[in-house]
Amino acid sequence: MQTDDLISMMTAEHRKVDTGWLRRATWLAALAALGLTITLILGTLGARADFAVAWMTLPVIAKALLGASLALVALAVFQRSLRPGLKPGRWLWLALAPPALAALWALATLAQAPTESWSALIFGRNWRACLIAVPLYAIVPFVILILLARRGAPVDGRLTGTAAGIASAGLAIVGYSLHCPDDTTPFLATWYPIAVATVTALATMVAPRLLRW
Amino acid sequence: MSLDELETRLRPAFLAALEGDAAAYRFFLDEISVRLRGYLRQMLARAGRTEPSEAEDVLQETLLALHLSRHTYDQSSPVTAWSHAIARYKLVDHLRRSGRHAGSLPLDDEAFQLAAAPEDAAFEARLDLERALEALPARTRGLIDRVKLQGTSVAEAASAAGMTETAAKVAIHRGLQAMAKFLTRRAARPP
Repeated sequence: MQTDDLISMMTAEHRKVDTGWLRRATWLAALAALGLTITLILGTLGARADFAVAWMTLPVIAKALLGASLALVALAVFQRSLRPGLKPGRWLWLALAPPALAALWALATLAQAPTESWSALIFGRNWRACLIAVPLYAIVPFVILILLARRGAPVDGRLTGTAAGIASAGLAIVGYSLHCPDDTTPFLATWYPIAVATVTALATMVAPRLLRW
Repeated sequence: MSLDELETRLRPAFLAALEGDAAAYRFFLDEISVRLRGYLRQMLARAGRTEPSEAEDVLQETLLALHLSRHTYDQSSPVTAWSHAIARYKLVDHLRRSGRHAGSLPLDDEAFQLAAAPEDAAFEARLDLERALEALPARTRGLIDRVKLQGTSVAEAASAAGMTETAAKVAIHRGLQAMAKFLTRRAARPP
């Protein structure tokens, strides 16, 4: 086929193009993924026993905020990484801000607490559960975001994967905050970021294979 | 022509095309394909590949990718940067697929190279995209043949094939998708 014939075909079937679709689809997909993740967590793990009184307390809100802020930053980068020529990678550094704030707050908490209680403050009761649950439930949003990414044009599969990983972990944290019974800031600032890093590393490795186009 | 001049020339055409202006789209595709051909030949030559038919293969693959990814364009960004990023992705993919490690290539290029060496002499492609259409229904292939012949509008071709214009556009779209898939599948099994 001649290149000119190819161009004739393209011109012939050309119509008005909606360039906002990808952005709307990303936020809708993220909301749907969040809904699905929360439903799954409540259905399998259930809400924490004292949820009725605890949901308005600072630790629960802080956990949900940590997850939501990570997801917001990462989703914005994710969406832009599906558009060739933008190079949005540097904005991803913003995702370090929420864990950094949590770490400062945790250090302040530890500084005020007696040394003997540090271990209890950091490890809580369920650090292993947190490390397993967050990556596990992050699979749901990750799959949804990868399916969406295939509708875009990711020219840097690793960047798209990194952003999708942080976003998925963030959404999973929002869901898991309804279950997680450990409320200390050192716990929050230690295990949640480790879980996010795990998901992000895996996502960065896996995504380029899934996103060839 | 500098990159800025090229951008000034292409951007209004592409923005009009996104609003549905087919003539503006044709202008954009004609202009960008000349630029991309020059860019791809230059980059392939740097990789020691001077066969012009190979550049034409990558050009066709890039044009298909541009066409099928029009919705990924961010209206606040330069259309030359968008086109260049897609061409570069398809070039690296092509080199990796055909046995050369892309990491060893001097691909630290930027969009300005699009403005450097226009090349409007088309060459016969090595891979015949026509083969990708074999699996499509005969009616669709007949329609595509009519559209490819210069001068036949979609409306005429559609009525000759006994289709509505919308159905004809959908059929051609499927044809283009089949060609893009044909090229990606080729990626899985290196020649």
